[in-house]
Amino acid sequence: MRQLQQFYREMLLLRYFDQLCRALKMKDIIYSGYHPYEGQEGVAVGFCGALKPEDVLLSTHRPHCHAVAKGCSLESVLTEMMGRRTGCSGGLGGAMQFLAPENQFYCGSVVGSNLGLATGFALAMKQKKLDRICMCIFGDGASNHGTFHEGLNLAAIWKLPVVFVCENNQFAEAMPVQEFVACERISMRARGYGLEEITVDANDVEEARRAANEAIERCRRGKGPVLIEAVTYRIQGHYVGDPEGTYRDRKEVETARNKEPVKRAREKLLQGGVEAAELDSIEQEIEEELEALQEWALKQEFPTLEAAIDHVGIPLENAPEVRGPQSLTL
Amino acid sequence: MAKITFGEAIRQAYEEEMARDRDVFLIGEDVGRWGSLYRSSTGLLEKFGPDQIKDTPISEAAIAGCGVGAAAMGMRPIVEIMYIDFITIAMDQIVNHAAKWRQLSNGKVKLPMVFKTQGGAGRRNSSQHSQCLENWFVYVPGLITVMPSSPYDVKGLLKSAVRDDNPVVFIEHKALYFEKGEVPEEEYLIPLGQAEVKRTGDDVTIIATSWMVSFALEAAERLQEEGISCEVIDPRTLWPLDRKTIIRSVKKTGLCMVVTEASAEGGWSGEASSVVHEHCFADLRRPVKRHCGMRTGIPYGPILERRCIPSVESIAGAAGALLREARGKG
Ligand SMILES: Cc1ncc(C[n+]2csc(CCOP(=O)(O)OP(=O)(O)O)c2C)c(N)n1
Repeated sequence: MRQLQQFYREMLLLRYFDQLCRALKMKDIIYSGYHPYEGQEGVAVGFCGALKPEDVLLSTHRPHCHAVAKGCSLESVLTEMMGRRTGCSGGLGGAMQFLAPENQFYCGSVVGSNLGLATGFALAMKQKKLDRICMCIFGDGASNHGTFHEGLNLAAIWKLPVVFVCENNQFAEAMPVQEFVACERISMRARGYGLEEITVDANDVEEARRAANEAIERCRRGKGPVLIEAVTYRIQGHYVGDPEGTYRDRKEVETARNKEPVKRAREKLLQGGVEAAELDSIEQEIEEELEALQEWALKQEFPTLEAAIDHVGIPLENAPEVRGPQSLTL
Repeated sequence: MAKITFGEAIRQAYEEEMARDRDVFLIGEDVGRWGSLYRSSTGLLEKFGPDQIKDTPISEAAIAGCGVGAAAMGMRPIVEIMYIDFITIAMDQIVNHAAKWRQLSNGKVKLPMVFKTQGGAGRRNSSQHSQCLENWFVYVPGLITVMPSSPYDVKGLLKSAVRDDNPVVFIEHKALYFEKGEVPEEEYLIPLGQAEVKRTGDDVTIIATSWMVSFALEAAERLQEEGISCEVIDPRTLWPLDRKTIIRSVKKTGLCMVVTEASAEGGWSGEASSVVHEHCFADLRRPVKRHCGMRTGIPYGPILERRCIPSVESIAGAAGALLREARGKG
């Protein structure tokens, strides 16, 4: 129960964090496309939370909760989404693409690319005999991308330490998975690469963590890669205010709300004898923490243009002046 | 004449072309259910059905290849790549196949198809969703590259692109979809390969593309108040380039500035300015000036992204400076 309570706390933090982000997006304080995470917290906590600090996580265009679960500070993730200097990418990336190398966290807004990148991280880990592994999270939609197939095959023939987690939230934008994936379960595709077929109900956070630990262990022992289909449900739209009616029924969402991971963990804790008051106090603490976070974040400054273009490339030694008169200059 | 948005003009072009020729079909991610990202195909799935409006999985390489194959079989596909940033994934199909088969078949195969996409900054989406990559396609023999700048142009050019028997890369600008302009009720076509003089003037020729056309026109308006008369040319088709219209203009004004959102280095703006230098050398009072975006990934957020690309002020400033240099020289 103690572990579940910890998971509950972590998931609740992500739930409220995501709500805060949504509110900031609505106020136009987060500027770019922003993809809500509600309902998928079992994946972030169960899988991303299972990694050690030195393990690498490659995430998606819906990265904020993965990042926090991997160990990036709430401050660095939130202010990145708000385009402030204190963000992990110095405020240059926004809500769907940023890098936090000190936390071994990378994500990007192009769907499917991370499956290719993951093989390289893992290749280096293997060849350098590092006791580290790489986790690569992607959506059901990404599993239709060429890189899914190329990346899995490459990782499989070279036995690379990658845990591929397909976060199946049932939709890719307006594409329901059952219409856009030909097989019954995405995990069935594992067979094509000589891998085992593993599907977990990731709305059960304990189940998710068990599967994550086992997969990570396997990779650490050199028995990787592993592909896991982590089944969940996207409760909010693909983005805030998307035309949901075009691809799903409101009733379906209501049903999903009964199965979402935070609610399930809470029910299980209560059944296990944890006092409701104790859980409520967690809620209270988180709310206060996030309020303070928001207040702090709003005071942070934006990057300067000089800082923004400082690292486009590493200047060559004795390089000719590259900023010619033709382009806009500072 | 009715004023309609750029997006609506696209929708009308689709509608007219699809009704005229049942071999015309649109294929891409969420072009049906969602009517495309900026709603430029809203309602068409209902009207034309899934044979002509095809929602696909997230599979850019396969989508582009599917278009090439269908075109070889005599259909007229419009392949939509949601962001030009993702066209990177489809490049093999476009560059090594679509652009090569006409020649390889000694003229027997024709590929009447359009790769339709959108690029540029303006929606605060950071460096993986804001690029200007048109230069790549200009460089590939066998492709036609079009960049419309107004509702009137996009409709007439898209209809011509659909009817043309070459593969056409048709690049819209994400900041233009909700811009309104006059579009006649009756049918019209705009030939590919023809520039348009958007404003006549005597002192300096400004060649601008895509979103920059409206900026250049506004800058010209401001300069008029200072007594400077600008001629603004929109090439509309970047390749093949309508040299005649450009040369005629520069022979008249003796000064030329090329404005693109894409950075100058290695870009189409260099091609355009070479054309002027090669054909109007004796008429030029000053070398051609390029006024282009910074050579940088587009930083996140509303402030910095605008500072990395030309603005009305910067264009007016640069054109004014060019004129003063010419006058100073006497
Ligand atoms: C290569 C590429 N194609 C298209 C898109 C546009 N796009 C952004 S998110 C998305 C859906 C992704 O679905 P999925 O992989 O299931 O992840 P989810 O959004 O459900 O988390 C699409 C198509 C993109 N970002 N990159």
